[in-house]
Amino acid sequence: MALPPDRIDYLPITDRPVIKWPNDARVALWVSPNVEHYEYFPINEGVRNPWPRTPYPDVQQYTYRDYGNRVGFWRMLEPLDKHGIRCCISLNLAVLEHFPEIAEAMIERDYDYMSHGIYNTRYLYTCTEDEEREFYRDCIDTLKRHTGKQLKGMLGPAITGTVNTPDLMAEAGLIYHTDWFHDDQPTPIKVNNGGKLVSVPYSIELNDSSVLRDNHYTAEYFADICKRQFDRLYEEGAESGQVMCIALHPFLIGQPHRIKYLDDVLGYIMAHDGVWQTTADEIAEYYVANYYDQAMAHARQLA
Amino acid sequence: MPAQRTFGMDHPHHEWSPIISRPTLRWPANAPVALCVVLVLEHMEWQAPEGSFQVENLAGASVPRAFPDYARLSHREYGHRVGIFRLLDTLEKHGITATIAMDALTAEHYPYLVRHCLDRGCEIIGHGVSVSRMITDNMSEAEERAYIQQSIDALSRATGRTPQGWFGPEYGESQNTPRLLAEAGLRYVCDWANDEQPYPMTTGPNPFFALPLLYELDDVASLAQRKVTVADYQRRLTESFDTLREDGESSGQGRLLALNWHPWLVGQPFRIGAVDAALEHMMASGGVWPATGSQIVEWYQSQNT
Repeated sequence: MALPPDRIDYLPITDRPVIKWPNDARVALWVSPNVEHYEYFPINEGVRNPWPRTPYPDVQQYTYRDYGNRVGFWRMLEPLDKHGIRCCISLNLAVLEHFPEIAEAMIERDYDYMSHGIYNTRYLYTCTEDEEREFYRDCIDTLKRHTGKQLKGMLGPAITGTVNTPDLMAEAGLIYHTDWFHDDQPTPIKVNNGGKLVSVPYSIELNDSSVLRDNHYTAEYFADICKRQFDRLYEEGAESGQVMCIALHPFLIGQPHRIKYLDDVLGYIMAHDGVWQTTADEIAEYYVANYYDQAMAHARQLA
Repeated sequence: MPAQRTFGMDHPHHEWSPIISRPTLRWPANAPVALCVVLVLEHMEWQAPEGSFQVENLAGASVPRAFPDYARLSHREYGHRVGIFRLLDTLEKHGITATIAMDALTAEHYPYLVRHCLDRGCEIIGHGVSVSRMITDNMSEAEERAYIQQSIDALSRATGRTPQGWFGPEYGESQNTPRLLAEAGLRYVCDWANDEQPYPMTTGPNPFFALPLLYELDDVASLAQRKVTVADYQRRLTESFDTLREDGESSGQGRLLALNWHPWLVGQPFRIGAVDAALEHMMASGGVWPATGSQIVEWYQSQNT
């Protein structure tokens, strides 16, 4: 009997179908800046307090993050453009409505987008099933209206969800969910409605929010572990294609004392052959088209 | 019970014994250091049962989140799917057999992993039921006895052998734990992180030993809690080893370096190189006896009887 929540079948890295990326790339690299807006005066629904430091507003913490949209985002674009990175933005969709210059800059670069909710201060925890259905409709419509793109995946707003999230995502036509950190390759996520939903490895480790903000490391260290991660996955990718994600937040990596380390990491990685610089949309589509059924069948055989 | 101001320990589980005044301990071939690597395979539950206890700062996914915490659950699952195999390959490369602390839910629900560990000759020791359920002094003696037995039974069924050792989830113990572990037929426990040699515990008629881990080198304590860098962690491992080797040689007291690693943490691509390099350094020194927990306890017992 599988352990709850029984969403991911066990597939040990030692015994699973080999993945071949386009052009025999060893590593699929995706870069995911979190383009977010945190509300000045949010509603506290009682599960997680958006601004726990003070009664609202918390101008220090609000502006620390908003700095990312006014300044950090633009500084971050420089190394991304220099190294030709096409990002997959983890997007609070309301940013498209609030800040048109940011929308234009992302559209101009043909970035892809995954939903990261509407605001980073609105969590999914308390959603009823119908509210969550409406949430996906809103995300899909808002992205389409502003960018012309079809939404394919989500990193839950502030990495939150409900027990129904994978089912309702698949029902809404989404194909990937990036709140899962159990693997360096995509894997199927089981849903209750016949849809095909996959996990695309985002990163809670190579993530400036975890490394720089939560855990107080230096940006030099962030660059160091990104290179170490790449080196190892590049080595293992000779046998089976790996995924590496670098997760960014403009208010963190876009600080003047940190930006050069992003340039350093991207320069290091992009100097290698065999890197598929891509987006979560493309990784998910490729995996669903080529490996999803095989992985499900193999897991059944192992069980 | 609060300490009484008299000689010795303020609990009944072992004697006071400073390392400067005890019989000489020599390892096989007079190696100055015995190296034991404990890998922790533990399952974090989707929803912990009511009344179960876990520490508030349990590591995983950088920070804990409210239910459903897909991030932390899946981050820890990385160890079972990917990290463990990187670690076992690394240990095998250096000729080290792992001692695996496996909880009951892993033993019952990951038959592939159990077989894989047995095929590689690992020793599997008890690690409670799940990381979501620590032993604490809140448990009644009967509850704790049943918990220990549940863990032993799950391992015995899954592996076909009776576990010899124990390492509680998050080092969790009540005031009764050493005695209950000994009464359940176990021979050693890794929860007591207070020495660089095994030592006897005073638990009753059955011989029972502590196999102490070096807590500062616990990967969760170093990397997840103290935010040590990967490079510095490697340095701490190698410098610890160098000191233990020198002390083992100069004092004639063989030292134990017992490390415990979580595959979801040090098994990550950017961390594995550091433990690989540290083990390379240790094994290249020539002064090390790599062994499993049972081998070390058995040797210790043979030297002291």
